[in-house]
Amino acid sequence: MSSAAIRLERVSKRFDGRVVAVDDVSLEIAAGEFFALLGPSGCGKTTTLRMIAGFERPDSGRIHVGGADITDVAVHRRDMGMVFQSYALFPHRTVTENVAFGLRMRELPKPEIARRVEAALAQVALTGLEARRPAQLSGGQQQRVALARALVIEPRVLLCDEPLGALDRKLRQQMQFELKELQRRLGVTLVFVTHDQEEALAMSDRIAVMDRGRIEQVGTPAEIYGRPRTRFVADFIGEINFLESEPGAAPRALRPERVRLAPPGEGRVAGAIETANFLGGSTLYRVRGDDGRLLLARETHAGDRAPRDPGQRVGLVWSDEDAVTLER
Amino acid sequence: MSAARNRTPFDAGRAVYLAVNALLVAFLLAPIAVILVFALNPTPYISFPPVGVTWRWFDKFFSGADFMNALWLSLWIAACVLVLSILIGGASALALARGNLPGRAWLTAFFMSPLMLPAILTGLALFQSYLLAGLGRPVWGLIIGHTLVAVPYVIRTTLAVLHNFDRRIEEAAAVLGAGPIRVFFEVTLPLIRPGVFAGGVFAFIVSFDQFPVSLFLVQPNGETLPVVLFNYMKFDLDGAIAAASTVSILMALSVVLILEKLIGLKAYVKL
Amino acid sequence: MTRTVPFRRRSLIRTAAGLAAAATLGAPAVLRAQTRTLRITTWGGKWGEMMKGQVLPAFEKEFKCTVQADQAFPFLPKLQASPKGDPIYDVLHTNSNEQWKAVDEGLVMAKITAREVPNIADIYPYAISDKIVGVSIFTSAIGLGFRTDKGLAKPTSWKALADSKLAGQRGGYIIPVNSLGQAHLMMLGKVYGKGLNDLDAAFKAMAELKPIKLVDFTGQMEKMLLAGEVSMGVIHDSGIYRYDGQNQPVDFAIPSEGVLALEQVLNVTPGSKVRDLAFAYIDYMLRPDVQKLLAEGVWYSPSNRKVKLDPKFDAKLFNTEAKVAQLIQPDWKWYNARKDDIDARVTRILRD
Repeated sequence: MSSAAIRLERVSKRFDGRVVAVDDVSLEIAAGEFFALLGPSGCGKTTTLRMIAGFERPDSGRIHVGGADITDVAVHRRDMGMVFQSYALFPHRTVTENVAFGLRMRELPKPEIARRVEAALAQVALTGLEARRPAQLSGGQQQRVALARALVIEPRVLLCDEPLGALDRKLRQQMQFELKELQRRLGVTLVFVTHDQEEALAMSDRIAVMDRGRIEQVGTPAEIYGRPRTRFVADFIGEINFLESEPGAAPRALRPERVRLAPPGEGRVAGAIETANFLGGSTLYRVRGDDGRLLLARETHAGDRAPRDPGQRVGLVWSDEDAVTLER
Repeated sequence: MSAARNRTPFDAGRAVYLAVNALLVAFLLAPIAVILVFALNPTPYISFPPVGVTWRWFDKFFSGADFMNALWLSLWIAACVLVLSILIGGASALALARGNLPGRAWLTAFFMSPLMLPAILTGLALFQSYLLAGLGRPVWGLIIGHTLVAVPYVIRTTLAVLHNFDRRIEEAAAVLGAGPIRVFFEVTLPLIRPGVFAGGVFAFIVSFDQFPVSLFLVQPNGETLPVVLFNYMKFDLDGAIAAASTVSILMALSVVLILEKLIGLKAYVKL
Repeated sequence: MTRTVPFRRRSLIRTAAGLAAAATLGAPAVLRAQTRTLRITTWGGKWGEMMKGQVLPAFEKEFKCTVQADQAFPFLPKLQASPKGDPIYDVLHTNSNEQWKAVDEGLVMAKITAREVPNIADIYPYAISDKIVGVSIFTSAIGLGFRTDKGLAKPTSWKALADSKLAGQRGGYIIPVNSLGQAHLMMLGKVYGKGLNDLDAAFKAMAELKPIKLVDFTGQMEKMLLAGEVSMGVIHDSGIYRYDGQNQPVDFAIPSEGVLALEQVLNVTPGSKVRDLAFAYIDYMLRPDVQKLLAEGVWYSPSNRKVKLDPKFDAKLFNTEAKVAQLIQPDWKWYNARKDDIDARVTRILRD
């Protein structure tokens, strides 16, 4: 399966009478990359995806796929695969007919369609359900049909709009692995939209964090988590402590796992544990400093260390190089 | 223990529920039962208990040239109205739901207005228009009249389907390579079809049973069945009326059943 | 067949008509075919069968024309709604009171004479009297129908209907929609008061008839008598005589105060483009042979004095000067002018 790079060049989209949905966005997505558009609802991530798909036309800017400018190419000529949050399966068609649809539109010979549909269904472990209609399938099965339907046409780009959003947690985790594995095997460029930062971190090669129509930061999951560039990114991804800084100086932030709990009297801050959130592998503590400020600290349960009780007095220890300096 | 569990106690709630349902069914079917008794009873008036069983009224109905002509005319007109309403109503509903037309609420109200207007006025207004235009009372004029009052039913049922229509399904088809026309025929049309045809069945029945609109628009020797029955009743109120009604009911029912078999009115999409 | 058409909201109808007219004003007139077409209204039922089967084909042949006979009610609103200069009918056949409404609006001619319709010279005076607009070609007589198997004496007076034994067993009409009911109301004024126009006496007498079973057209009254649901009711003679020979226990009585005429009236529309043919049709309908055929077919009393009926019909129908003298013709012009008030009062009386 071939794959293509995507380039967005200063793309903007405004919906009539409303705020700017996408504001001057430029992006480079490499061929074969697993790329996430992450952000809260209304940040413009879905509109960006829909512009790549061709459902929306940018007001300004250009979109290139595989080196060609596709800004003015109609949806049905873009040769992309797409998986929708609601799956958008054809309710009046069987599993086979759903998967065969794109091949039929390409007017391939019947035997080839049959062969490729069979292979695609095998790939997503749906063999045996060919004659069912979508309403007769579970959520996870529908998800796989949607995936098979999008992939069977061997698209250069696979677009996914919150593809796992409708699944329960356990199934979602399983599908995360499967989707990732499938993408790696096929080598297809995959752009997916999510508001779930854990999902983005777990699956993506790179992530673009968006807010109010703009891209805040693009980077690998480790970069995004470890070196957030802005207050928004830092706050949106995981938990973080914002540190006080001199007036006029850049803001600084500190991940809770960089804060060590020490006996009272040690460290930079003295205080008492206010709440303890037991997370299984670790516990997240909210500590109220004697000076009144709140700080988060994460402690892993290595060995047989038991979680601490609220009210316990502690000292908080960290080093300056663990703190990140934010641009704004 | 188990014996006690097996004994079903008298459930008052359920008994009331069943009784109410039985009453409702009886209420709905009683008129049909009365018609059937009248149709099979030898006396030329409704008498209860019936004094016997006869086919003479059915015989009179089926051997009456006026009745038969009217029956076929009504069926033929209803079939035309079915087709026209589906085309016009389906297209209108699509335009109303999808067209981004200015003043959509007003337009919807306008298209529904034949339902608000007394049908007798619709018939009268058309009658006058035709006469003033020097057209007389052509059959197609009657078909137009029926279609006018039938189209809103199709619009209504189609809009209901379109209202719950997930447009992502059309987008999915587009992204898979279907152009706008193929999207319409491959996805949109099959999905709204149950709504369109449900409206079509209404349209058929509205036309087949149509009296007020027809009242003015039928031409001499070209009267529809309801008009013929109405006039017949004034001179010969006998069992032939009941026989005609029975046949009408069976006709309408079988058309609905045939359409249901052919098209499958049971929607596979949520209505 | 005697039901008054339920449209009296003429202003509303006119508004609708006006709107429609505005859109189509100045449309070309229809080109007439080579054979002329006479457009008439006529009754259905047995009458209609005879008209379509025998009378009209013979007329078409003799006058080399086509007759388009509208049997679908309501005739008057259709005529009202059609352009006056090109009316939908050439000849209007209705009961007498509707002709009065039609002439008020200029929809039919006020007077027809023997000059246009020569056979008028041979008809009884009542058929062309000042109580008639147009020409009455037949009449029925409104009297009392009764069951012969209930031990009832043949009624000799309209007062027989008020007999207390008949409580709930007597039949009348929903007066606003039925001209037999309207005629009966006037008769009550004559029987119990000072005359046909004595409405106060009529209303009082009407109240005394309760409980009474009301129907809206004569066919229902026939069936109620046949089914024994009423033992005595107001009905026209042809509604009873039509069951002659069927062994039905019903008969018709002519009260001593007289019977009310229920005339079948023909009239020509002033805008008719085939007026000569229209008059010829009326003349044809008054021919003795046509009159005899229809009179014996549906038990209507013929207007033409020269008709010789078979004995069976001769015995019962109103076809001599003496018998015709029993016919009382209501003043429909007078009645129609008061109809709204009468409807309101009579509805109140009969409702509770």
